[in-house]
Amino acid sequence: MTVDKQTDGEHSHIMLRLHNVSHRVDLGHDTLTILQGVNGEINRGESVAIVGPSGSGKTTLLGMMAGLDTPTEGTIELDGAVISAMSEDQRAQLRAQRVGFVFQSFQLLPSLSALENVMLPLELAGHKAPLQRATELLNRVGLGERLRHTPRQLSGGEQQRVAIARAFASEPTVLFADEPTGNLDKHTGAAISDLLMDLNREQGATLVMVTHDEQLAARCQRRLNIDAGVLSEPGVPA
Amino acid sequence: MAKSPFRASLRRDWRERDVRVVLTALIIAVATVATITLFADQLQRTLTLSASSFLAADRQLISENGQPVPAEWLAEAELRGLATAKMVRFPTMMFGDGNFQLVSVKAVSAGYPLRGQIEIQTTPDSAREMRARGPEPGTVWVGPRLLQLLKVSVGDPVEVGELELRVSGLLIREPDGGFSLSGLAPRVMMHADDVAATGVVQQGSRVAHVALFAGDEGVLTRFGRWLQPKLLPSQDWVSIHDGETLSASLEKAERFLLLGGSIAVLLAAVAVAVASRQYALSQRDSVALLKTLGLTGKAAGRLYVWRLLSWGVAGALAGILVALPLYAALAGLLASVLESEFALQVEPRALLPALVTALIAMFAFAWPPIRRLQTVPAMRVLRSEPGESRLAVIPDIAIAVGAMVVLLWLYARDVTLVVALLAGLALLLATLAVLGWLMVLALKGVIGGGSSWRLALVALYRHRRASLSQISVFALTVMLACTLLLIRTSLLSDWQAQLPEDAPNHFLINISPQAVAEVKDFWGERGHGINAVYPMVRGRLTELNGQPVRQVVSKDERVEALNRELNLTWTDRMPADNQLLAGRWFEPGETRGVSVEAELAQRLGISLGDQLGFTIGSETITEPVTSIRSVQWDNMRPNFYMIFPPQGALDTMPATWMTSFYLPETAKQELNGFSRAFPTVSVLEVDHIIARIQSIVAQVTQAIEAILWLILAAALVVMAAVVSATLQDRQREGALLRTLGARQTLLVRSTMAEFALLGFFAGLLGVAGSEAAVWGLQYRVFEAPFRMHWGVILPIPLVSALILALFGRWQLKPVLRVSPMLLLRRLE
Repeated sequence: MTVDKQTDGEHSHIMLRLHNVSHRVDLGHDTLTILQGVNGEINRGESVAIVGPSGSGKTTLLGMMAGLDTPTEGTIELDGAVISAMSEDQRAQLRAQRVGFVFQSFQLLPSLSALENVMLPLELAGHKAPLQRATELLNRVGLGERLRHTPRQLSGGEQQRVAIARAFASEPTVLFADEPTGNLDKHTGAAISDLLMDLNREQGATLVMVTHDEQLAARCQRRLNIDAGVLSEPGVPA
Repeated sequence: MAKSPFRASLRRDWRERDVRVVLTALIIAVATVATITLFADQLQRTLTLSASSFLAADRQLISENGQPVPAEWLAEAELRGLATAKMVRFPTMMFGDGNFQLVSVKAVSAGYPLRGQIEIQTTPDSAREMRARGPEPGTVWVGPRLLQLLKVSVGDPVEVGELELRVSGLLIREPDGGFSLSGLAPRVMMHADDVAATGVVQQGSRVAHVALFAGDEGVLTRFGRWLQPKLLPSQDWVSIHDGETLSASLEKAERFLLLGGSIAVLLAAVAVAVASRQYALSQRDSVALLKTLGLTGKAAGRLYVWRLLSWGVAGALAGILVALPLYAALAGLLASVLESEFALQVEPRALLPALVTALIAMFAFAWPPIRRLQTVPAMRVLRSEPGESRLAVIPDIAIAVGAMVVLLWLYARDVTLVVALLAGLALLLATLAVLGWLMVLALKGVIGGGSSWRLALVALYRHRRASLSQISVFALTVMLACTLLLIRTSLLSDWQAQLPEDAPNHFLINISPQAVAEVKDFWGERGHGINAVYPMVRGRLTELNGQPVRQVVSKDERVEALNRELNLTWTDRMPADNQLLAGRWFEPGETRGVSVEAELAQRLGISLGDQLGFTIGSETITEPVTSIRSVQWDNMRPNFYMIFPPQGALDTMPATWMTSFYLPETAKQELNGFSRAFPTVSVLEVDHIIARIQSIVAQVTQAIEAILWLILAAALVVMAAVVSATLQDRQREGALLRTLGARQTLLVRSTMAEFALLGFFAGLLGVAGSEAAVWGLQYRVFEAPFRMHWGVILPIPLVSALILALFGRWQLKPVLRVSPMLLLRRLE
């Protein structure tokens, strides 16, 4: 199945819809519940922070919303498509077209240069001029002088800039960020937050972010709390 | 150093994937080398035993001067633990029932034969029997033809000189039968103790005394060395390696096994080097961390030396444990082919190369990258230091190449073999350097565009350092395996061509000129066509350019051809498998000139235009050398040192004719009718010799096949080790690509395409390298002409592409099975 951009979702204001999403992991002798009946909606163009203590299921929920994994129960709709019912390849295609990622540990390929790392999603999507687009983006994140450097030759902040450039390379409609400042010092973290928010605004993408960083969470339009696999929004009855 | 942290670190090591790869590579190395050496040892023993029966012993000392072999030499041999026996060969007249016949007597002592058995019949109609010893004193075994010639039967008395002996059996086959055209008289075998009573063997008689020896190969060699300086020119120390066809086959088989072993060593070394480099890289963080906790560089060095040593010991022991059942299986296979029982014999000496390999592999291939861990800065913990500089590996390579030379030398002890393999390697590396540069240039412009092939090309370029080193290792592996494959193929086809199924197995000699047509018709009517029939004139080569030939030839050159009469022939057509090396073949109508065999020409210093003088009967003829040609001595056809033109100098000489032809076993009884029809024609049966050679070649072929499979398996493991060295990186990349939206099919296709490209290039280079190595080996070691093997130039790269594509697919399996999220977390 191809994910047609001209579905009803294109015109809907809902970017993400979760209905009764639960996720359990079978440990053999026991079953571990990670998410428990999660419901919720995120609007197109919104920025949302998901906060919660370690082990509360934040990253799992983010992965489910991005289609990196499927829940054991419930449905997830992304941009009008029910991704929880899609095959892995269909979800991959959807990710290639509409989703961007920023990870806490950057996830750059160590053997590739900054430029090559950014070109990767463009090449996968069959972009016509990946070199040009990647160069533009690296210039935009302030690494125009370091195109040929490999991740080892870059500082943590610089590596995260490359990761952000890569996330925005394929002009995603939704960007998922997992603790994007978690591995950075306060000062660098702040700079990365600025970059992420600015780029998101420029591109008009929806931003869903898991974070411990209260300041970063405060810069998002909405804040969702998660605890022991249960999602709640301050001020909104569960 | 306290023991417990060391033990703990060993336990931790085992959990490291790279350590398991190093150990696996080491175990395979030791197992392969140990299996090959054990098996080669077994093969050597079996073949030697089988071949020794050609001499009826392991060694013969032949004394042609009429004097017996000194008793103290035999005593010395027995003192050294060797078994001995004696025999005396002489021609004499045998009388029976009023008839007489020139016979060739072999009188044997009680121990004869030391190897092999004698085949006899007790009556002409009884079944053939194998006997482990010769006739009893007072009795004699005679060739079946002799019964007809003397008109006697089994049980009748015959006389040899002054002694009367009773015929107690028909001599069908002797283990040391051999054959020579000069030994045409019917064979008689009697007991050595009876010789004195015959009164035939006297001072000055034409008699050969032969002493036979058998026993441990080492003792025989030492005894041979002790004996050599005492030998007179008329005494010859003969081993099985001095025969013609068989020894050549054996030698080639031995060399092949050595080559196989050397290649196993090289493959193993490559696997260990690759895996331990990977291990060293993975240890950099741990060492940096330990240094922050106070570990000194020296202490780190000591820690890793102990680890290496313990891996080496563990790997060697495990490898030998794996080798033993493998060896037993191969030896069992060999025994079943030979239809003989076999004793498993594990010589500790045969395990030595495996242990040395383990140690050298550990310290020459694994130690250099691990040694550099000593210098990892503690700062690495805080700040990611740049990786190793490229220059750092140069000393490693130097040590590795040095170690390879040492290993090859230790193993093969053959300069040519070592040089040929190293030259092949050097050529391969040089080509790789050029190819790598070209690849970088060619792929630079390629940018991915969604198609799996483009993505594969981009990946090759992006990972160019890894790609190049993988191509190097794969190409090396392909080269080594392919070298063995090509050598084996050409060896086997060589042997088969040498002795085809229908190789002539019977000689007919002494055919009178008038009978030639009748003999041809006799066999033609029975469906066994005879092709070439040659006239034969016996004569001696006596003069070279007017000088007596014995004066011209230097004393060091003992040329057997000068000591006896040669069979001279004339023909207008050069025998099919002779090759003209110099001069020209006789023109039609040409009457002068002689064509000389190349080796004899070389030893006597004969060149084109020289005048050769021959004494034939009472006449002497002189002819100029008009051509020099090579002869296949081992093709079981009539072969001649000297060939004259028809209507040439030999034309007026008395000649008999000879030929060779193929007679199948089922038609053997036709020989009886032939002998009745042509009583004066001698039949020389060499079918058993050919059958023996063919069965030995079959055994060697089986062994070679088995060893080839072993090496191919080792090559696959090296490939697996190299592929798995980059497993983690590739899995991370696969997971990330999936996260970024790569479909599984795209990922599978592009990965397989990338590996297929690697495999194809490596295969192509490997084939080129192996052609170079085979070229060297064929010329120098296997003494066979080199041909390009066009047939493998495409298939090998394709197979290598396929194998690597499958490896790539296998490597990707975990990436496809779990969700990208889980994978990324796992790899973090």
